[in-house]
Amino acid sequence: MSQVIGANLPRRDAEDKLRGRTMFTVDAAVGGLLHAALRRSDVAAGRIVSVDLEPARRMPGVRAVVSAADAPGRYGITIADHPLFAVDEIRYLGEPIAAVAAETLEQARAAAAAIVVEVEEFTPLITMAQALAGDARDLHPGWEDYDVLIEGGRRARNIGWEATVVRGDTDAVFARSDVRIVETEFAAGRQNQTPLEPRACVAGYENGRFVLQTSTQVPWAVRNSTARLLGVRESDVRVVVPPVGGGFGMKFEVSIEPFAALLARASGRSVKLVNSRQEEMQTALCRENAEIRIRSAVSESGEILAREAVVLMDCGAYGGEQPFLTSMTAHTLGGNYRLGAVRLVSRAVYTNSPPNGAFRACNGTYCTAALERHTDEICAALGMDRVEFRRRNVLGDGDIGSTGQVFEGDVLAPMLDRMISLRDSGEPVRQADDGRLYGTATTVGTWFIFVGPSAATVNLNPDGGVTLVTAGVEIGSGSTVQAIPQIIADSLGLRVEDVTVRAADTDAAGYDGGVGGGRTTVSLGAAGVAACDEVRRKVFEAAAEMLETSPGDLSLADGHVVVNGVPSARITLREVAEHAQQVSGPISGSGSFTGTGVQPMSGCAAGHLIGALDLPVFAVHECDVAVDPDTGHVEVLAYRVVQDVGRAINPRAILGQVQGGVVQGLGYALHEEITIDPRGKVRQTGFETYRVPLSGDVVPVRLDLYEGAPSIGPLGVKGAGEVPILNVAAVVSCAVADAIGKSVSQIPLTPQRVLGLILERDGESVDLRHIPQGWRENVIADPDELMAAAGVGRP
Amino acid sequence: MSTELTVNGEVRRVHAGPMTPLARVLREELHLSGTKMACGEGFCGSCTVFVDDDAVASCLVPVGHAEGRSVRTVESLADPAGALSPLQQAMKDADAVQCGMCFPGVLISLSALLESDPDPGRDEVREALVGNICRCTGYERIVDAALAAAQAAAGQGRQAEGNGS
Repeated sequence: MSQVIGANLPRRDAEDKLRGRTMFTVDAAVGGLLHAALRRSDVAAGRIVSVDLEPARRMPGVRAVVSAADAPGRYGITIADHPLFAVDEIRYLGEPIAAVAAETLEQARAAAAAIVVEVEEFTPLITMAQALAGDARDLHPGWEDYDVLIEGGRRARNIGWEATVVRGDTDAVFARSDVRIVETEFAAGRQNQTPLEPRACVAGYENGRFVLQTSTQVPWAVRNSTARLLGVRESDVRVVVPPVGGGFGMKFEVSIEPFAALLARASGRSVKLVNSRQEEMQTALCRENAEIRIRSAVSESGEILAREAVVLMDCGAYGGEQPFLTSMTAHTLGGNYRLGAVRLVSRAVYTNSPPNGAFRACNGTYCTAALERHTDEICAALGMDRVEFRRRNVLGDGDIGSTGQVFEGDVLAPMLDRMISLRDSGEPVRQADDGRLYGTATTVGTWFIFVGPSAATVNLNPDGGVTLVTAGVEIGSGSTVQAIPQIIADSLGLRVEDVTVRAADTDAAGYDGGVGGGRTTVSLGAAGVAACDEVRRKVFEAAAEMLETSPGDLSLADGHVVVNGVPSARITLREVAEHAQQVSGPISGSGSFTGTGVQPMSGCAAGHLIGALDLPVFAVHECDVAVDPDTGHVEVLAYRVVQDVGRAINPRAILGQVQGGVVQGLGYALHEEITIDPRGKVRQTGFETYRVPLSGDVVPVRLDLYEGAPSIGPLGVKGAGEVPILNVAAVVSCAVADAIGKSVSQIPLTPQRVLGLILERDGESVDLRHIPQGWRENVIADPDELMAAAGVGRP
Repeated sequence: MSTELTVNGEVRRVHAGPMTPLARVLREELHLSGTKMACGEGFCGSCTVFVDDDAVASCLVPVGHAEGRSVRTVESLADPAGALSPLQQAMKDADAVQCGMCFPGVLISLSALLESDPDPGRDEVREALVGNICRCTGYERIVDAALAAAQAAAGQGRQAEGNGS
């Protein structure tokens, strides 16, 4: 029906980006701009004895100095535990204590360094094992007094949030004598997003309102959190977002905007604050490190009769995203497969390390890796083929997920078949007789679209083109420069070049959940389509009058309103727009969208912000690896993906996302890891020590787009940009285990670690002694009460 | 104290101290913000520019060292009012761009390669890119586009030769 949908149209921002003309927030240069710097803590834990700002105020060029007294609020997603500046207590190395604005960056940095901070140091609790020890100090002694923004999670001392899943009588199954029990441990490192544009903001204070130009994925969350931290009205904050130089989730929360805002108000000047690369490394809101125990009771014929798992997620010094992300375990580690009975617990644990955040397929990457390694170990225990086991056990039409949600459509099983076809259609990987160990693996993964609320306005302009006004941000994924204009053009029978997309401005666009969770094309697209529906209705009303027919007989095509069945009876949209302007006023439409709110089975999920998935997304990944037994070096030889996209609006753009996401996943699987020394300092200070994939490390990904799975998205679309990273660590871990014939239970798989596994060196196994063996010993709540709530009697 | 250098074909006198990184002078004094400075430590390659005929990390070059030399930035690759360069056009045609922060440096590194080796193989292109971090694309399309640009140029060259004979 449309030449726009499914077309590989170019990006409208490509040319400026290639000419070096695009102005990112870091490039902003307005006259009279002040430069800002933060004074950060150089210890990880302690009581603040005193902060003397006076030396900074006396330094040359200084125009404003602000600190905790200027920002009374605390923010968070579920629990408001996070002040803007450290108050009374330091909880991580790098925590802001004060902020300075000066005429030059050097002056600002010198003044920040001159601030005198006296701290009575505590021994930092760096690891989750340390924070969970019985005698551990409370990181948040006042945790019971914090504002609870969203109810539901259990909390206790250094456990910032706990989410549990109970479905069926797991105890009874594990006690059976005719089941085989398989146990797996897994640990995953902390991964830094490292977008090339650091977090950056230019703030002004105009007519009593804060105007923040910032590099963010979530303009409305920045508006809300800045107001909360500064103790001002939300409507006194305006957030404007130019093109963003990469986000990958790190810019999914407020970050440095409130500091710049305070300094702009205090100085009466515009203030620019940009994190240095070192600050980005020390304080990035990373993908959290995690530790997992999983065990299953399986029948000899290969059914998963019961499963239980414990997932520890390191939230760092403040809760941030992790309490929310505990919800995801149910759908990632508890996903993919039909389970007879299931019991899960996810705990966000406070440590004296920088707060973690969101990163592309948050939680899903390591939970999928643990689950798929576990699945391969089940197959080994049963002597079953790994692909066949998956094909028989993956969730299909009418199956219920871990929280009791009923899944719709057979998706994963046919995708596995498509993977086999994809493999067979290419050149087989040649296993050279070079002494290396070769392995291969196929993994499945379940992810979701974080649908959530979006608003859109579409204005029909006098020239017959339209302008879409939303809070959508272009972070590089192309959603707002490819898929969204394509969807709008299709909806109104326009050419894509007739669709203008307004850059995000919270003064212009309605509320939006932000660019992340694969939601842009789905949620903004759906809101945009709804707005187009209103425009179409008004256009038809006006045109019916002009064409002397009824609105029901009209359709839109090629920039014209056409009388159905009478191709010659048509007028241009421009004529309709001009006519409407004279008669009824300009035509515009508004639209909105949010998730359908699918619910879990009663009593099955506690502490979950997402108890069931409105829009699941599936992926099948396969790779071939070669491992050098002398060095432990892993080379990925070939990589294949079958991805559930619902409907491909721009297939070539999706392949770009898949290639990029897989490569980020290869970094995560093989070498990227933020490590923290016993003092709480991040050891990786830049790209020299934090090794991201380079051009010589990558392989071209072969991709098969799986279309047609059920979706509530417009035109049946599903977001395609987030999920490509989901099962990369899983498939690489499984392939390496296959190659070396040893259990793999930790990522990244650095040469040293892999060599340790091959040589069976001590110290290369994961130490999870701080996680008790059973689920019951790992919950704050009374386990019997949780079981009873799910309708399971006492054992 | 000032430094005189040629920037994108024009003689410029700049006033930043001689130890100021060239990248900062380009961005802050000359307002050539196409050159990025994503790490400031010489590892990411987003600040790559030509100094004379060499592609270098301009965040590591004190501007004083550029005295009397010729600097070319991403802004020089195409006439602002004219068409994209063949390499830029190939990137656009391949849908290679995502967030765009790395491209100014990527384009300079690849221009340097194509100036010295007009017909590189895939491995040569990968090697030329090894100092440029791209966090979005996974590189493959950038490599494809560079090879396509080289092939197109070779095709044009052959055509020109053919016409001449």
